[in-house]
Amino acid sequence: MKTLQIEVCFFAALRERLGERTMRAVPRGTTLAALWRALAAEAPGLERLPVRFAVRERYVEPSYVLRAGDSVAIFPPVSGGA
Amino acid sequence: MFQISAEPLDAARVMAAVRDPAAGAVVVFTGTTRRTNAGRRVVKLEYEAHERMALTEMRRLAAAAKRRWRLRKVAMVHRIGVVPVGEPSVVIAVSAGHRDEAFLAGRWLIDRLKEIVPIWKKEHYRGGAVWIGAQQGGPPRRRAIYPARRGR
Repeated sequence: MKTLQIEVCFFAALRERLGERTMRAVPRGTTLAALWRALAAEAPGLERLPVRFAVRERYVEPSYVLRAGDSVAIFPPVSGGA
Repeated sequence: MFQISAEPLDAARVMAAVRDPAAGAVVVFTGTTRRTNAGRRVVKLEYEAHERMALTEMRRLAAAAKRRWRLRKVAMVHRIGVVPVGEPSVVIAVSAGHRDEAFLAGRWLIDRLKEIVPIWKKEHYRGGAVWIGAQQGGPPRRRAIYPARRGR
């Protein structure tokens, strides 16, 4: 099966747990939700954290199917403002 | 003016950025870091942003606000890095022909910023620190993020 190379960046609490960025090889047809399940399995407790996804700096749904060259950002709940 | 800044924010500068001869009202909101949150004494606050995307999302919010209300100009700046207690972490300025639109849009913009713009706050206490938002359980809330129509 053909695989895709995907760059994943993490922010805030996720960055502290998983590092700033990682490269992953995933099978063609992989969704963001599936990618996140695999990543979250590496650190206890993360699978319960609600996360949001961005691809190429736009928010997308967890059902988004990854494409070659995608740069993914995974966010914990945002908390800007005061 | 849309900025993510590691320097102290100057509300007067943000306000000046929305000056407009057709504006009868300018509303400026400054969000200021609190000394206590949920009963805990905060000794230091720290903000992190996905900077490029935060700027994109702030511009999109401003554009959405302008579709929704009759506005002249919008400016949004957010500070990142360590912010001492009592200093502004966010400043939003809105100018409009009349005050109703300026107040409504300013309120809407800070509410949406807190829900959407990729910025995170970390509170440092004596003996620990917490990323705000990251300790919640359950799925993220869903709602219409960019209503296209003017008025409520």
